[in-house]
Amino acid sequence: MKNKIGVYICQCGSNISDYVDVEKVKEAVMAEDVVLLSKTTMFACADSTQKEMASDIKEQNLDGLVVASCSPKLHLYTFRNVAIRAGLNPYNYVQVNIREQCSWAHSDKPKDATEKAIKLVLAGIHRAKHSVALKKQKISSENTVIVVGAGIAGMRSSIELANMGSQVYLIEREHFVGGRTSQWNELFTTGETGRDVISELYKQIKSNSNITLFTGAEVVSKSGSVGNFEIQVKITPRYIKPDCELDMEKFEKVLEVCPIEVEDDFNFGLNKRKAIYKNYPSEFPEIPAIDDKTCTRCGECVKLCPEIDFEQKVETLNLIAGAILLTTGFDPYEPKEGEFGYKTVDSVITLQQMKRLIELNNKELIYNGKKISKIGYIYCVGSRQSDGENKYCSRYCCTSAIHTGIITKEKYKNIQNFHFNRGIRTYGKQELLYHEASESGDVFLQFFDDTTPSITMNGKGPKVIIEDFLTKGKEIEVDLDLLVLVTGMVPRKERRISDILKVPIGRDKFYNEIHPKLRPVETVIDGVHIAGACQSPKNITESVKSALAAAAKANSLISKGEIELEPTLAIIDKSKCKSSGDCIKICPYDAIRTVEHDGKTVSEVNNSSCKGCGMCIPVCPENAIQLIGYTDIEIESMIEALI
Amino acid sequence: MANINPDFAIELKKYGSVNFNACYNCGTCTAVCSLSTEEDSFPREMVRYSVLGLEDEIQASLKPWLCYYCGECSESCPRTANPGELMMALRRYLTAKYDWTGLSGLLYKSLPMSIIAFIVTAIAVIYYSFYESFNVEKIMHFGHLFEMISIAAVFSIILVPNIIRMWWMTVLKQKAKVPFTAYFKSIWDLIVHMFTQKRARDCDDNEFRWLEHLVLVIGYLSLLFTTVVLDWFGTDNLFIIILGYIESAIVFIVTVDFVSSRIKQKKEIAKFSQPSDWFFVIWLFLLGFTAFVVRVFIDLNLIETNLWMYLIHLTVLVQWALLIVPFGKWTHFLYRSFAMYFDKLLKEPVKA
Repeated sequence: MKNKIGVYICQCGSNISDYVDVEKVKEAVMAEDVVLLSKTTMFACADSTQKEMASDIKEQNLDGLVVASCSPKLHLYTFRNVAIRAGLNPYNYVQVNIREQCSWAHSDKPKDATEKAIKLVLAGIHRAKHSVALKKQKISSENTVIVVGAGIAGMRSSIELANMGSQVYLIEREHFVGGRTSQWNELFTTGETGRDVISELYKQIKSNSNITLFTGAEVVSKSGSVGNFEIQVKITPRYIKPDCELDMEKFEKVLEVCPIEVEDDFNFGLNKRKAIYKNYPSEFPEIPAIDDKTCTRCGECVKLCPEIDFEQKVETLNLIAGAILLTTGFDPYEPKEGEFGYKTVDSVITLQQMKRLIELNNKELIYNGKKISKIGYIYCVGSRQSDGENKYCSRYCCTSAIHTGIITKEKYKNIQNFHFNRGIRTYGKQELLYHEASESGDVFLQFFDDTTPSITMNGKGPKVIIEDFLTKGKEIEVDLDLLVLVTGMVPRKERRISDILKVPIGRDKFYNEIHPKLRPVETVIDGVHIAGACQSPKNITESVKSALAAAAKANSLISKGEIELEPTLAIIDKSKCKSSGDCIKICPYDAIRTVEHDGKTVSEVNNSSCKGCGMCIPVCPENAIQLIGYTDIEIESMIEALI
Repeated sequence: MANINPDFAIELKKYGSVNFNACYNCGTCTAVCSLSTEEDSFPREMVRYSVLGLEDEIQASLKPWLCYYCGECSESCPRTANPGELMMALRRYLTAKYDWTGLSGLLYKSLPMSIIAFIVTAIAVIYYSFYESFNVEKIMHFGHLFEMISIAAVFSIILVPNIIRMWWMTVLKQKAKVPFTAYFKSIWDLIVHMFTQKRARDCDDNEFRWLEHLVLVIGYLSLLFTTVVLDWFGTDNLFIIILGYIESAIVFIVTVDFVSSRIKQKKEIAKFSQPSDWFFVIWLFLLGFTAFVVRVFIDLNLIETNLWMYLIHLTVLVQWALLIVPFGKWTHFLYRSFAMYFDKLLKEPVKA
């Protein structure tokens, strides 16, 4: 028990002292027999005051410290550091909030505010009285990162992690790397193609001995925690021998004989592909793959190509890593049937299909056998929905649609673009594209939530009728050959990985970071990081930026070989525990498991997973769990002081 | 309901529009325009009509004529979409649409056609001189006659029918109810605007340009009167002779300033010049200058031996009277005044 406690009451300029009589608080506090010293101060956080506190601790040999000032969110670490500098354990320091929770809240009743402040400070003193010196705990960590998803964010962060000295397991569910980026041809503002960017990254990955790439691989289970995650990965084979050298002529013959035709996801269903496939000739890895789900093993291809090997088996690997980085990307929004004529009016496609269509058509732009010259774009489909689920803006689509319009005009003759938008958001340098499109004669018509354009069929193609508010709401008819729905980003439909890792999901259904500004690439699950479009809609530049931030963050966490954790954890008294299992059920972090102890089954907390949230404490029927730093005796004595 | 027609931009470009597609409808042009009002709001609206290609709306509108092109809108446009020049292009386009012969459009849109027309008229004058064996008296008599006949013919065959067409497109076709008496009540406005263009004074920093313009109009019209009615080239009356000298000097001196500002391109309004603009100012200059020199030749008794000087003047005169007045920029003077008149009619309250 501490009995030489120093108490400092801050005036915060006049923020506190205008409403709380700090002198009165000081006197009331002095009456406590465990308090050795009590002072008021103009600014507790000022450098001079910090020095005074430190010398008081040393000279008077204080064993506890209480500062009554602002929220601990602001200055907890400031005063903990004062304690450390003076040789006092930082966990013998208690911060009492008499500003946000007292003076500001009760500025109309200064007398009552003073009374409340006295009680709050007394409670703090009682907590300090029972406080225990604690040490941060250290756990060992593997300098290995599992990166899930080999799109542009995953590939770029893998290279960065490897260069910083971490081992990387890069796990890709598809048989080829590149993700969405490899589906786009020319990229906006830089002009290079998505596949060029991916080829460059792939070369770097292959030549880097710190990176191991797994394709056709999926995470199936997780155990362990930060520093030592154990991840089980299921690997589906390509059914082609790894030493196969691709001979395009032979491959084309194999494609001919394969009788299976499935919708080509790479081209967003614009055409069909075979069960043996490669999305484009220069795709990586170089060897084609056989789609496990649709192949019937008819054996036609084997007759032509002995390198095809149906003996290959599904494998399961156990990987150990200190940290995980999720870069699982996005799905394009799939419009509902009838949404702006999707699937109910002919020649209505999505922006992503349009991008593939441009790549598939070289000389003339043809859709459904019809030559296209008048193209309309309807913006914000699946984004900024006031009634629907997706309230957010998908960020990349305005620029992407305008850029698509520009490259369509460059590639084909007699193209006229119409942009039915809800306000153009081509932020930053992308604004130049908007200017370019506009100058070149693209027509922009704006609509609002309550005046959405109507889409009908006019015999030849889709007809859009829109109220143009820039001509006082005149109804304008636009006859088109092709209508493109500028669909935004939604989280991946496939969410198994987030269930396994228990990554928190935000209201927008994307993965949630701890703090959008201060901790933008970490999740509340220690050691699990997020980057790219799985977190929120991002363009390629933004995805890569977040990927590099996440790589740096993950590397700095695990590269020292050990990780420091806060000592405020739950601890289970094994002699009291009767293994009811209630704590295991309620724990949001999977941090409690059962172990054998003295011949009985009891619960035990995994220190590296426990976040000290305290959820398990009230549910224990035996009252066998204590939260270090917030033990029953500390809390009870605080309550006593308050009432 | 109106059908969108982005190809209209291509058509307007032929009439001299510059980059108006870059407009993002911020409305700065309309805000800075000192002539634009809540009722008659421009140029943004006209830019929008042009982007969407709403020709019916444009043809029905008098707004292009309400603008006197001070250039402030183009100066303040954040997208350099040149709204002022678009208004100018729309005036040319409307001139072509009002003209029943279709020649206006042809001459505006095609420089080769304009040049051919100028050459053909010049050849006609020379051919006629041959025909008359270069008889000075006969040719100068014909010149005087031509002035009178061409004024009467151009007015009755081209200009009056075109103004009637303009009236039909902007007033009758709009099914606006205009009280019959209003046509008489507003006639004074028509005359005042025609001769003073007083609305142009409301443009910012436009006093000097307006004054220049006023002096030029008075000089030109009185020179017309002096040569046609008072027979300047044939008279012995000293007063009339001096009057003609002053008037013709005014015309060519003021036009020199107009030409030089188009060459310097310092002012916003002089940045873009279509062939029709050049023809107008240069031919006006030539008209005043050659008239002045012809009279000097007469007074020095040189004209008998130097008929070529009169032939140059006659060629300029014929080109002016048959090409520029009926089909070129000269008509803007008429259409603008009538636009003001029609606008007044449309705003006249209808008695219940």
